[in-house]
Amino acid sequence: MTAVLTQPRPIRLKGRSFLALALTPELPFEDWLIRLDDLAGRSAGFFLRRPVVLDVDGLDIDRAELRGLVEQLGRRNVRIMGIEGARPSLMGADLPPAMTDGRAASDFEAPDAAQASQPELPPPAIQAEPQALRAAPSLVITDPVRSGQSILFPEGDVTVVGSVASGAEIVAGGSIHVYGTLRGRAMAGTTGAASARIFCRKLEAELIAIDGFYRTAEDLDPDLWGRAVQIWLEGEAIKAGILG
Amino acid sequence: MNLLRLFSRTPTAPSARERLQVLLAHERVAFGDSDLVSKLRDEILAVIARHVQIDGDKVTVKMERGAQMSTLAVDIEIPFDATKKKLDAAKNKKAA
Amino acid sequence: MGKVIVVTSGKGGVGKTTSSAALGAALAQNGDKVVVVDFDVGLRNLDLVMGAERRVVYDLVNVIQGEAKLTQALIRDKRVETLYLLPASQTRDKDNLTPEGVETVINTLKKAFDWVICDSPAGIERGATLAMRHADVAIVVTNPEVSSVRDSDRIIGLLDSKTLKAENGERMEKHLLLTRYDPARAERGDMLKVDDVLEILSIPLLGIIPESMDVLRASNLGAPVTLADGKCAPAVAYFNAARRLAGEELPVAVPGEKRSFFGKIFGRKAA
Repeated sequence: MTAVLTQPRPIRLKGRSFLALALTPELPFEDWLIRLDDLAGRSAGFFLRRPVVLDVDGLDIDRAELRGLVEQLGRRNVRIMGIEGARPSLMGADLPPAMTDGRAASDFEAPDAAQASQPELPPPAIQAEPQALRAAPSLVITDPVRSGQSILFPEGDVTVVGSVASGAEIVAGGSIHVYGTLRGRAMAGTTGAASARIFCRKLEAELIAIDGFYRTAEDLDPDLWGRAVQIWLEGEAIKAGILG
Repeated sequence: MNLLRLFSRTPTAPSARERLQVLLAHERVAFGDSDLVSKLRDEILAVIARHVQIDGDKVTVKMERGAQMSTLAVDIEIPFDATKKKLDAAKNKKAA
Repeated sequence: MGKVIVVTSGKGGVGKTTSSAALGAALAQNGDKVVVVDFDVGLRNLDLVMGAERRVVYDLVNVIQGEAKLTQALIRDKRVETLYLLPASQTRDKDNLTPEGVETVINTLKKAFDWVICDSPAGIERGATLAMRHADVAIVVTNPEVSSVRDSDRIIGLLDSKTLKAENGERMEKHLLLTRYDPARAERGDMLKVDDVLEILSIPLLGIIPESMDVLRASNLGAPVTLADGKCAPAVAYFNAARRLAGEELPVAVPGEKRSFFGKIFGRKAA
């Protein structure tokens, strides 16, 4: 029997950050790879199953060189999940995706010679970065957020003193407050905070989402359009009410 | 709107057509990399630079492209002692 | 030291070139020394609108590549002697514009002219970002129409991030020039209202230019509209915009209506 979707359930879109090992290759790559081989030789499997991000910021290389490096690393079982700091012209469909806005975490302990003889430890599990502990809890933006701009703040609340234009987006780990007209996209609680809310003085949003549940402009109650509104999540349902 | 002004107007489209025709005729030739006027300009300057030291700041090149003919005016200020530097000038032909 | 103005919009066909020529001519007609620089390499049109298309010898790319002196590339207007044009190249690629070359040209022009008006190409690519890079003031040309307003908003974001002023932590002065405003369509309610556009973009209003046959006639003749017919409605609107640009406080009249806007009222809220 063909499955019929009577109650369309929205697909949940969530953001999540993970800790990855960032490798910063140096030119010439041949020499750097020799040093890497030396490091790997001291601890076989150091890179095995670890998520690795390649940071190529400031390197004067072309796409072929970058592709060659990724292949060289692949041959050494170092799998690159993303590339940071690359010019858009360097990237291509056959390369790992570009990653931005990385934040430094504590350094990975590189294995030294003494450890080399020790029995192999199981590879560490990927740990979610404990963000709330070290990050500022709230971001205040005093300018209008213009079309094409994207404000990403997984650490907490975002407050905009002004409007959010059509074609702009706010992605917050916590709640979103807009003291102007919300015309773009607002995604609150993207790191799993179902209690996050969206507040705006005038609702004309293209899309609103909380913890991955979303509503587009068409799905929003027309009575709310242009009003001061707050939006929250009850179970798996997006609720909205007029403020004040 | 002032009616008098409206009636006293001459149509502007013929002028637009004429300007475009002249311009496009020149541009089509230029794209074939055989823009005669530009070549003349460069070669005239090169020839003069061979004999006289030209100060790049003292050269004005004016062009007026027309439907039937174009005029090219190259105005070069030749300093009093320019001929004395003829030998240097021979080595320094990049002024054009 | 002159002021560097970029005339930009994001969207094409909204009236950047017409406005660059008209504002440049209006400022020059007041006696200021003005140069209008065409940044649309490969698709130059400013020379046509200003009626200098038959006199182009050298262009911006020639100057940047060192093939011609700046003074050789400047074309003086035949009607207003304080008005100059620096044409773009029609045959070269926009990759020939280097940031260093543009900087040298702009800095030299700034010393010799009261106003350096940079006519930006459409889009948000290299040509547009280079045109805005050294600006002191930006004029955002917008039509009262949704796609134009959104593109303008995008450009305002770039003006606040991709310019030298922004990178030095300074505020870029931005003005809205609303063009192709049709009072009849506004009356019928078929066009975005001036208030709506101002509220969405929240930058001060420099002027409202009515949609008019006079603009088309002027470009047919190869004359900035302020020179072609100084008394027609769009010319008057451009003259007033030029006065506001020079610092005068003049209310902005809405074509077809009795009310006016005071740019400064919106200026306070401006980003």
